[in-house]
Amino acid sequence: MRRRTRALALVLGAAVAAPLAACAGSGDGTPVLTWYINPDDGGQATIAQECTESAEGKYAIETSVLPRDASAQREQLARRLAAKDSSIDIMSLDPPFIPEMAEPGFLAPVPDDVAERVTQNVVAGALAGATWDDELVTVPFWANTQLLWYRKSVAQAAGLDPAAAAVTWDQIMTAAKDQDKYLAVQGTKAESLTVWINALIASAGGTIIENPEAPADEVELGLESPAGEAAATIIGTIGKENLGGPGLPTEDEGASLSIFQGDKGSFMVNWPFVWSATKAGVEDGTFDQALLDDIGWALYPQVTEDQETAPPYGGINLGIGAYSKYVDLAYEAAECIVTPEHQAQYFATNGNPPSNTEAFDDPAVVEAFPMADVIRESLELAVPRPQTPYYNEVSTGLQQTWHPPSAVTPEVTPTKSSDLITAVLRGEQLL
Amino acid sequence: MTTVADKRPDLRDAAAKAGRSDRARSEARLGWLLAGPAFVVMLAVTLYPILQAFYDSLFHFRLTAPDDKGWAGLSNYAVVLSDPLFWQALGVTVFITVVTVVVELLLGFALALVMHRAITQLRGLLRTAILVPYGIITVVSAFAWFYAFDINSGYINHWFSWVPGISTDLNWFAQQGTSLFVIIMSEIWKTTPFISLLLLAGLSQVPTELEEAAEVDGATWWQRLTRVVLPNMKAAIMVAVLFRALDAFRIFDNVFIMTNGANGTEVLSLLAYRTSIGRLEIGLGSAISVLLFLCVIGICWVAVKLFKVDLAGGARGAS
Amino acid sequence: MKQLSGRAKVAWALITIFVLAYALFPIVSIFATSFKLPSQLNLGLFWPKTWSTVNYEEILAPDGSAQTLFLSSLRNSIGICLIATGIAVVLATLAAYAIARLDFPGKRLVLLTALGVSIFPVISIVTPLFNLWRNIGLYDTWLGLIIPYLSLTLPISIWTLAAFFRQIPWELEQAAQVDGATTWQAFRKAIVPLAAPGVFTTALIAFFIAWNDFVYGISLTSTDRARPVPAALAFFTGASQFEEPTGSISAAAIIVTIPVVILVLLFQRQIVSGLTQGAVKG
Repeated sequence: MRRRTRALALVLGAAVAAPLAACAGSGDGTPVLTWYINPDDGGQATIAQECTESAEGKYAIETSVLPRDASAQREQLARRLAAKDSSIDIMSLDPPFIPEMAEPGFLAPVPDDVAERVTQNVVAGALAGATWDDELVTVPFWANTQLLWYRKSVAQAAGLDPAAAAVTWDQIMTAAKDQDKYLAVQGTKAESLTVWINALIASAGGTIIENPEAPADEVELGLESPAGEAAATIIGTIGKENLGGPGLPTEDEGASLSIFQGDKGSFMVNWPFVWSATKAGVEDGTFDQALLDDIGWALYPQVTEDQETAPPYGGINLGIGAYSKYVDLAYEAAECIVTPEHQAQYFATNGNPPSNTEAFDDPAVVEAFPMADVIRESLELAVPRPQTPYYNEVSTGLQQTWHPPSAVTPEVTPTKSSDLITAVLRGEQLL
Repeated sequence: MTTVADKRPDLRDAAAKAGRSDRARSEARLGWLLAGPAFVVMLAVTLYPILQAFYDSLFHFRLTAPDDKGWAGLSNYAVVLSDPLFWQALGVTVFITVVTVVVELLLGFALALVMHRAITQLRGLLRTAILVPYGIITVVSAFAWFYAFDINSGYINHWFSWVPGISTDLNWFAQQGTSLFVIIMSEIWKTTPFISLLLLAGLSQVPTELEEAAEVDGATWWQRLTRVVLPNMKAAIMVAVLFRALDAFRIFDNVFIMTNGANGTEVLSLLAYRTSIGRLEIGLGSAISVLLFLCVIGICWVAVKLFKVDLAGGARGAS
Repeated sequence: MKQLSGRAKVAWALITIFVLAYALFPIVSIFATSFKLPSQLNLGLFWPKTWSTVNYEEILAPDGSAQTLFLSSLRNSIGICLIATGIAVVLATLAAYAIARLDFPGKRLVLLTALGVSIFPVISIVTPLFNLWRNIGLYDTWLGLIIPYLSLTLPISIWTLAAFFRQIPWELEQAAQVDGATTWQAFRKAIVPLAAPGVFTTALIAFFIAWNDFVYGISLTSTDRARPVPAALAFFTGASQFEEPTGSISAAAIIVTIPVVILVLLFQRQIVSGLTQGAVKG
């Protein structure tokens, strides 16, 4: 049905193509590429405009905003791609959801020459996130990572100097407890909880999925392991001992930031946006400069003293829709979007770090983010969330079983989540 | 419309005459000509999709893995019905339905009495006020209540910190009980006007002579209410309850906005949505949809058979 | 009207205050939130500490972060709901006329179908519609929402209009015809003025119902092309992906609530009678 309509449209299109060449364009014949962006502070729209200008009529990029929640973004795009929507040219994709899009062929293959150009100087985590089945399937754009943010006063009182020597979760938990402060972590039932769980398990040397590329019913989970138990111990303790405060079960990244900025703020794991957001708060008079001066940063906390940390990896890659009418132009546009200059500008204005190491040397970046070096280091250490076409099931399954944090125990939770996810992947249970 | 008026037979002409059957036939034809389009549209937008849902529910079908589509028989239903999550969602849905309907019935009746008895100068004001929640978008209502109670942006905790159990540290959306409380509050606020309008319609049907007679006989206010007013409104009350119950059973917006199903606040509609639209598991999601539909049919059947609700008669008020 | 005693006056005053508080409190609450500075949201106060219109700028000013999202959704909502209401009212007028004035087999069936459709669990039809729409290209289009919105607006329109039409003294039409008017004139002069308020009220109620929809809105759309307001509200964002959009959502909520309040203020009498009509006189 669909195919026939298309064929008909094609014939009709050919018949009227000459006089009406502009029918798909903006009126002057320029092909319009639609870029589905995740919400930001306007940075992607600016880049779109700049690339449109520099394309000089070859193409024009229009942006269309996706929902705020990462899994809702995936939902929207997957639905449209399943509908073979030809209006999706460029997509800002959260890396964990890339395999699910790549597997059924929703992403147009990356041409070899493009692949070569866009992978130069790209941090390891971003490259891994852009790849599925050993093939580059998306163009790395920006790469995010969480740091440990701390109030210098609190760290000092606890005798810690996270900037000088790596700290462990136990240390910051003890510090918060002793000083009756709250740790700012993301305990809400959302993707950010999975981010936390994954970072903890990876920092303890484990992985959530042992064989991410296996078909659904053969996936083996690594949750029932010392690493899974270590992660459950940390989350459970923070929950049970009220170290996260009463808001923990509904605490997302933004709520974490308010707690950290408040009187009970101590340590926080969060993305770099917290720096620009706090600076903006100081500028509009809500906070004192003293707050900003009291904030320090370091690498994500370690689970054990002797094992290097594995910070969360996030960010956005650009996928090109397989059903786009202008795949070649879209790749051209994507290359324009991800130039180191644009990445640096995007970081400086929107607080989202580049995937290209070159961009970190940009003076504007260093000016806006004094912690740019730590971010770059963190990105090299960062471990992506499991890459599997069933990521949504895995992540939701974790959220169902590891929430609320106070109910998490090392004895029960890893087994429970492992059983649930396995059953769901086999189609034996609902989620 | 001209032709309508032309062909319109005189209904009051009860005496059967020659050509009556002709006329009846043409009247029937005209009736279906006029009502047909609406009838067809209604069937097309509901009957067809539910049949499709039933068909889809018989397959293993995941949108992002279109090649793995396969016959499932009734196994999707087996998965759903054997899953505690489904039963929990059903339980929560029933709980919300029962609580909201009971509270709304009482509150709605009070508001209906107020509107019914209000002195003329106040009538317009009161009616306008009561209609406002009716017109508000449910999502807006959900956000309003959510932000008021939210531990970060809310003020309820500060206002009511003198109440035992409430403090600035109370996170309403962290436990099942408190989350459901706020969800139910929002639901009640938004939909009580509807039920109270249905009851108002019922109230104005109560013959005033009866009430006056009772008053003359020395009946107290309470006696008049329970012996005269309520028995005369029984039909209206039953219809109001049934309609609200079926509406409450579909609850989705408030839960989606406030908790998205966290802390055991999952309801059936949300479960169906998350399965079919979120996970793109069309087969499983359709099975939940069909089961939800059967639940609604079940409630209707119980109401009509057991409680003898005269749907067709009373529903005129409902609509 | 009897003179009110002092006690009754006090009682009515109290009742009025209670009802007003009940009905308006959540709206005032979100109104107050909409004027709070993003950085002052978490102070635990009801009224803003400093009144600011920054949230309204976010959704209305050309460089506001949610401006495209909000304004396009507003346009979609208004357009889609008006069209869905219009179609529903036209179809329902024809059907209700037949039900009120003609005797035909299956009349009860039409009414019962309307009833069945109005209690239908929306979520049950969303999945198959989603699947069908994406196959025939209606997904994320206006038409793709207008059609399912008919399932919301049509049944209530039929019931309300049928109740209205039952009350119209149709003899007037004949009387006019006897007085020498043509059929069309009779209909237009005698019947239309009587039926118009009912049709208008029905349209208003149907519009409210379509305007309120959320499930179809989030399930059958995915972009600015067709996403209606309630769905867009759930997708708002703050200054960055991770910041709470509380302020912009509240501001948008107030803007979409204002027309509702105005309509209710202007037409409260009609809406009340429209919603209660059938039961009283039917």
